[in-house]
Amino acid sequence: MASDKVKSRREFIRSGMRLSLALSLGGVAGLAASEMTGDGHVWQIDPFLCTQCGRCATDCVLSPSAVKCVHAYDLCGYCDLCGGYFKAGYNELSTAGENQLCPTAAIERKFIEEPYFEYHIIEDLCIGCAKCVKGCSSFGNGSFHLQIMHHLCVNCNECAIARVCPSRAISRVKASQAYNVKGSFTKES
Amino acid sequence: MQPERVIKYSTWALIAVGIFSLAWWLGRDPTRSFAESVPGLDNRGAGFGADENVIIGELFEDFGATFTELSETWPRFRGENFDNISRSGIALKDKFPATGPEILWSVDLGEGHSGAAIWKGLVYILDYDEEGRADQLRCFSLVSGKELWRRGYNVAIKRNHGMSRTVPAITEDYILTIGPRCHVMCLDRKTGDFLWGIDVEKDYESEVPLWYTGQCPLIDDSVAVIATGGKALMIGVSMATGKKLWETPNPNGWKMSHSSVFPYTFGGRKMYVYSAVGGMAGIAADGPDAGKLLWEVPQWNKSVIAPSPVCMPDGKIFITAGYGAGAMMFQLREAGGNFNVEILHEYAPREGLSSEQQTPLLWNGHLIGIMPKDGGTLRNQMVCVHPSDPKKVVWSSGPEKRFGLGPYMIADNKMYLWNDDGKLFVLQPSLSGYIELDMAQVIPDGHDAWAPIAVADGYMILRDSHTMVCVDMRK
Repeated sequence: MASDKVKSRREFIRSGMRLSLALSLGGVAGLAASEMTGDGHVWQIDPFLCTQCGRCATDCVLSPSAVKCVHAYDLCGYCDLCGGYFKAGYNELSTAGENQLCPTAAIERKFIEEPYFEYHIIEDLCIGCAKCVKGCSSFGNGSFHLQIMHHLCVNCNECAIARVCPSRAISRVKASQAYNVKGSFTKES
Repeated sequence: MQPERVIKYSTWALIAVGIFSLAWWLGRDPTRSFAESVPGLDNRGAGFGADENVIIGELFEDFGATFTELSETWPRFRGENFDNISRSGIALKDKFPATGPEILWSVDLGEGHSGAAIWKGLVYILDYDEEGRADQLRCFSLVSGKELWRRGYNVAIKRNHGMSRTVPAITEDYILTIGPRCHVMCLDRKTGDFLWGIDVEKDYESEVPLWYTGQCPLIDDSVAVIATGGKALMIGVSMATGKKLWETPNPNGWKMSHSSVFPYTFGGRKMYVYSAVGGMAGIAADGPDAGKLLWEVPQWNKSVIAPSPVCMPDGKIFITAGYGAGAMMFQLREAGGNFNVEILHEYAPREGLSSEQQTPLLWNGHLIGIMPKDGGTLRNQMVCVHPSDPKKVVWSSGPEKRFGLGPYMIADNKMYLWNDDGKLFVLQPSLSGYIELDMAQVIPDGHDAWAPIAVADGYMILRDSHTMVCVDMRK
């Protein structure tokens, strides 16, 4: 009787261990499967919360940052005097370096027809400093805004920029909706 | 190998490597992949319309409508006294009825921000006819909104954050307008007959300001005063004949801004104060030296200036602008007929009262305005300061009450604030704080409602980018 009792206790512990292991493996496999087949999550910036503090350029684990400026052309006024391209107190409305706000000349300005100019972000040069976003938001329509580019982002478990973002503009979003662009100019209230 | 030889060969080898490395280092251009940011990379065009032959006043239509003659006027930008304060004794609403504001009539306009002027029952507005591609001075009945006539001229204007953006100047006899591309037109007020015109861009080699002309014309007694920039800084023209009476030289090539010319009397001299792109100036308004530069402030050199100067009785002059410019307060002094200027305050927009588009109000010895978007924590708030220290905020509307670029004025001791989105706020002017009496949506889905407000006989004219409405504000 006593030996049967010991045996059944051992069997009980073994069974419990097996069950726990099976559940753990199943859970991990299920999680992996959901990541593979369903919506994973990635980090992204809400451009309506962003205050253009400049931390995206300095706090990303990548150098240069995975955060880049993107341009919502349907919001742009195509102005000659673009607040995102020219710094305050510019000498003239020309492409001369001393007039430009962008520290890396990452914005290309092209004449379309009087009085319109088109502005294009050169992603390779952009460091995500948000100077142009601040200028565009202050004096223009806000068509320049920042986004985390997912072909660059390493999707850290804890985003180093999100940790220091003063307006909590960076959060996890579904990978199927990885970008939060302003193009349609809608903001859910 | 003997050690001496090893040392000898190693030394020569090191010298050779060193020389090679130095040559490589000197010969290599580390900036070879750099691209120069130089003027002209945008392939900027030569400008449009410079050779367009505009025949000012060529178009006229009479619609045969009648109007109800009234007694009051709002004859120009910022009203009779250039302060945006109505002296009318007519009591105005401080609360809207439950059914909302009483909108008497509504008219569609070309996209723009031009404001109305009112003269004894008639409303005048310089509109841009987008289909006909013409500037049109349109005359409406204030009470009925029926159009009586329109006078204009063909001119090519493209959308650029609106097209029209000035307020006509009206007297008993004349109407004076400036169009988006600096065409000055003088008409007979009663009949709309064309009297004379000036193509400022052509005649004075002026540069049309960014987003088109914002300067509202001034009629001072019988003289039209226009800040041209280009070949002259300012001109005085006879309203009766269109002949130039005087001209202020422009040796420094200051350009026309969106700011308007304001008459000011100080130190025994009547003068015109103007904030150009390049600097600020006071110009003699009368006497044998009319048109002479009395004083200037070249330190106020900002690239885009829309607000006009606020001139105070004690010689203080406040000027502000947007696009990061901030503001300046300076003290004008007179001694023996000569004027000098002392800059009292000069600051960035986040440091004190600034404005991007509207001219602040001078009310009860205080300045009241709406801060620009780059105004720091006070951005888009209404603030009140004392001229002695425009950086010290007496009160602000608070973070829950932020506004756009729309105008604000005072009538019947109430402040009316017309917000970007077509909402009209009624405020109680005060030195103690922001006091909101009521608010109503006047234009549904209003957009870019930036044009100055006009009010006379209890009727208020408001517009957004496409629609002009008349609201019966009588109590």
